[in-house]
Amino acid sequence: MLTLRRARASLNALRRGNATVAADAAPAISTSPPPPAPSSDSSSQSAAPPAPGAAEGKGRTKGRNRPLQTRRAFITLDRPREWNRPLAPGVLPAYDEALRLIRRDAAEIQREAGELERELSEKEVGEGERRAMEEKLGVLRVQGEVNLPEVRWRARNGMGEWFPLLFFSLSDLQQPVYRHLVEQRWRGEGALDLLMERIHQMHVVPDVLPDLHPSFDVRVTFPDLPSEDKTKKSKVKHHAVEPGVFLSPKQTRRPPRIYTTVFHTDPRYYTMILVDADYPDAENRTFKTYLHWMQPNVQLSASSTGPFTFRDSHTPYIPPHPQKGSPYHRYVLLLLPHPNPTETLNIPAPTVQERADFDSRAFMERYGFDASRGGAAHMWREVWDEEVSRIYAQVLKADEPRYGHISYKDAKETLYKEAKPKNKYAGYGDKYVGQGDRRRMPL
Amino acid sequence: MSFPILPQRSIKPTLRKCQTSVRYAGRTAPAGDPRHEILRRTLYPSNLRNKSTPTGTWRSDVGRALQHAIPSVQAHETIERAWLLHQRHVRRQRDSELKRKFEKMKEAMDELEKLDKHLYFEANRQEDPRARSTKEVELTKTLKGSERKAMEARIRGLFPRELRVPTDTPPRTGWNYDWKPTGPASTP
Repeated sequence: MLTLRRARASLNALRRGNATVAADAAPAISTSPPPPAPSSDSSSQSAAPPAPGAAEGKGRTKGRNRPLQTRRAFITLDRPREWNRPLAPGVLPAYDEALRLIRRDAAEIQREAGELERELSEKEVGEGERRAMEEKLGVLRVQGEVNLPEVRWRARNGMGEWFPLLFFSLSDLQQPVYRHLVEQRWRGEGALDLLMERIHQMHVVPDVLPDLHPSFDVRVTFPDLPSEDKTKKSKVKHHAVEPGVFLSPKQTRRPPRIYTTVFHTDPRYYTMILVDADYPDAENRTFKTYLHWMQPNVQLSASSTGPFTFRDSHTPYIPPHPQKGSPYHRYVLLLLPHPNPTETLNIPAPTVQERADFDSRAFMERYGFDASRGGAAHMWREVWDEEVSRIYAQVLKADEPRYGHISYKDAKETLYKEAKPKNKYAGYGDKYVGQGDRRRMPL
Repeated sequence: MSFPILPQRSIKPTLRKCQTSVRYAGRTAPAGDPRHEILRRTLYPSNLRNKSTPTGTWRSDVGRALQHAIPSVQAHETIERAWLLHQRHVRRQRDSELKRKFEKMKEAMDELEKLDKHLYFEANRQEDPRARSTKEVELTKTLKGSERKAMEARIRGLFPRELRVPTDTPPRTGWNYDWKPTGPASTP
């Protein structure tokens, strides 16, 4: 009996779960856009054995030229996939029973949700009771699908609900269950925690704004630095920025692409600002905030995925230019919710001088932005590069300042020039030559 | 200065063996100047993984065993969710049944309070299970030795003190079929 089961298990293990629906998948690897949605980890879920080619190759080459382990292609819009059972029926009875239980429970809850929906539309109920019933209906709608493995797989791999109609969206957030799962993932699996850790550890919260509790996810991409090896020509790739990492001013020369994952269906207005928290203020021997970019009245909802590039933004993008000799600069991107989500704000575009004197806290207080009620944030850090000199020359059209300690040699040239002992007799030619020690006043 | 940008995708370690394209073997140190060998081993440590680690942190058979036990992560999570869901159903049912019983009991007691205060008081009285009646106390005074011990060991509502502690293995002396419980005839 045991041998039979083992043979069947091995046979079933060869049968892949989550097989591709379209057998004629394109062989060319497309450079997919930066990942806005959850990463696809279908490889870890499939029970596929190593490719048969590897086994053959081992025998032929006797372990000399081992082929590297291959993996299935990532799921993208060009290479969609449908959910399939990870294990064939009969391989793991517990899994079959689990599926039965989950489907039965889901059907039960969906029936209950249908009844409640009918009741809401037909019956006449008071305001408070209606709100409670609608809330319950929302919960039932989510719970009726949240346990289904196909739904969870689709949420995990960015596949939408409309796949059969060949109209898929990455993580279809119109459905409440996908919204729920994506938000749960953002909050629970570390992305939000990492962002808040960096925000608090680098003291963005007391310095730039008083309080921050993000309600949705924002991702920022910048191009990678070109490789130092000039012989290798590779296409410039854009990668998402981890909050708090160091970037080069070369990478941030052009404005980034902003991707958002918003969890509310109703459209609300936000204002986007990018501030430098460590702009040196030499006169007062302190640091102030500098406004690099602003775009008010951005309307966001669950159906807007972006990317937002803001070509003609309200306040044009000035690339980050951390000065030489100053400590690292923190650049904070904020999406602040309007005090009234359905109302636009009339914010005047600041001048170049006003950008340097931009006080983010005062700005937020003036227009009533409260980041503790919602919004989104991102941040990175930068340090001086030769690119900053070019930015000063081309974009700012100003002299590049240099901060920090002056060396003794430079100090002699600049600061102590007046105190330098002067040669009183310089410039009088041969007048006093040969006079010896006769003291004479110069003519 | 390097500017690392980590990709958003986190790299999950797989159970498969690590394969590197360049393999550095560990050679036995040749007799003579060991400096070359030390340098080579420091700069290019051996990355061959063909046997278990000395302390047992990595073994070659563990991957296969884990793959057999948990063939699919997705299936494991589905089973876990189904089990928790089942537990939630059982718990909900148990709690609702208990609540229903409590409600009915409360209703009954409220009715009794309205009907007869004395009976209500008697029904609400809590009795100490360790309390002994006067007859039992007098009986205990007359007993001696093992009978008295047995009397003191039996408390209403509690397991007897003489209860045998369950062990993994049976006793060396075997099962005593002729054992008779000691106790006075009047013990309930």
